[in-house]
Amino acid sequence: MGKAIVITSGKGGVGKTTSSANIGIALAMMGKRVCLIDLDIGLRNLDVVMGLDNRVMYDIVDVATGRVKLVQAMVKDKRFDDLLYLLPAAQNTDKTALNEEQVKSIVDELKPDFDYVFIDCPAGIEQGFINAVSGADGAIVVTTPEISAVRDADRVIGLLEQHPLQETPKLIINRIRKSLMEDDNYMDVDEITTHLGIDLLGIILDDDKVISTSNNGESIVMNPDNPTAQGYRNVARRLEGETVPLMKIDVQKESAWDKFKHLFKRN
Amino acid sequence: MQSVVLKGTKDGYELILKETASVREILVDLKQLLEGLGEESEKGKDQLHLNVQMGNRLMSEDDKNDIIKLVDDYDNLVIDNFLSNVITREESAKIMSENNVEVMSRVIRNGQEVNVDGDVLFFGKIHEGGKLIATGNVFNMGVIEGIVQAGCPDDESKLIIGNLHTAQQVRVGEQYDIVADRPIEDSEKTVVYVNDLHVLSYGKIKNLKEINPKFFNRIGGIE
Ligand SMILES: Nc1ncnc2c1ncn2[C@@H]1O[C@H](COP(=O)(O)OP(=O)(O)O)[C@@H](O)[C@H]1O
Ligand SMILES: [Mg+2]
Repeated sequence: MGKAIVITSGKGGVGKTTSSANIGIALAMMGKRVCLIDLDIGLRNLDVVMGLDNRVMYDIVDVATGRVKLVQAMVKDKRFDDLLYLLPAAQNTDKTALNEEQVKSIVDELKPDFDYVFIDCPAGIEQGFINAVSGADGAIVVTTPEISAVRDADRVIGLLEQHPLQETPKLIINRIRKSLMEDDNYMDVDEITTHLGIDLLGIILDDDKVISTSNNGESIVMNPDNPTAQGYRNVARRLEGETVPLMKIDVQKESAWDKFKHLFKRN
Repeated sequence: MQSVVLKGTKDGYELILKETASVREILVDLKQLLEGLGEESEKGKDQLHLNVQMGNRLMSEDDKNDIIKLVDDYDNLVIDNFLSNVITREESAKIMSENNVEVMSRVIRNGQEVNVDGDVLFFGKIHEGGKLIATGNVFNMGVIEGIVQAGCPDDESKLIIGNLHTAQQVRVGEQYDIVADRPIEDSEKTVVYVNDLHVLSYGKIKNLKEINPKFFNRIGGIE
């Protein structure tokens, strides 16, 4: 029996969809069976980020309302044999087209067939959030180092604590830029983690390649040497129970490397 | 035996209801008693104030209203209060909690509101956007980065004591301050209170006696 994990944040645009895709792919690369459920009816959908948009036939609302069977709506990612699937979001309906029971029963139907079911949550804390959380066993809260994003993460963690899932929520801090850590509007990794008081699952560096790859329906995580990709792969390994040292070390390594480069230039 | 007896007390008159009598019996006997009384009291125009003593029982609002209705027919009779030797569990719990200091060490996150009946001794942390709202006093030993209120909804005799300089807002009763507009000193000895002019004010623990003598006496003074 697999595990269902909702990827949520409160604030929009912090990297829920990017994280869903990259963590899902990282786990598929490790040989795990993964299904991604897109519950966000936004502009940049999970199907686009995965490069699967032109294969979408039906969506989750079709399944929930009984128009089609679950398997008919699931889109296979051919890059990963039989390991990675997407259940797309509806494009033409709004978030109230689904209710909690419907989402929960779809998630429950998927869990026996997969190792992981990831639920890409819409921004906000309304019906869309409630739907996304309803079938989940655990949650990953994504934030960026921006104070406003951390506030929203705090709000979401509070809601998750009020209606606890089987597992306590885990934190991903995304879009970390060394240069911004001194800025007053940004918090550093330690500050965010102690403030929010939940386990840190991983940190992800900011990298323009994330955007350029996802525009092409590729995912950064497949890049073997990229540190951001490494961050996502580390998250996947930690989900699998491995002890992987935190990327914080990578950031420090980078800054040491930066210093080295500076020295090199001066000479 | 009569189920209703009229008795004079030092505070006026009391209608004493027999605990074991049914409400129906009481209404019948009360009517009879009032009829007799009516003739006597109508002569003097003075209003007669009555308390109804229910003894070791509580009556429903409906039953009380039936009694009030009966008495209302007599212009110069007024029921002030229904008295009882007993209270409901709910009421007793409320009284207990109002006199209790609740010890709390949780995190109150953005968007969460925690309400406390009575005083609270707070060891936790209130994040920005979190609210701790007490009907009594708030003694803060934790970290407040959100909003804290004592004396909710409108009791200006309550206090907030502790370090509050990182709070977003402090409120006592209906008075409040936005801390950004009126910074609070970084000190554990801060006392927030409402003064005689209904203005939120800041003092120090060592001045508690002047700030709020009643509270000062309750805690038995300060070393
Ligand atoms: N680590 C990162 N580095 C650079 N850009 C990122 C990173 N993570 C996300 N982005 C970009 O931020 C934008 C919002 O990300 P997205 O995953 O769609 O957020 P959400 O699903 O939370 O709304 C996208 O353009 C995405 O490519
Ligand atoms: Mg999204």
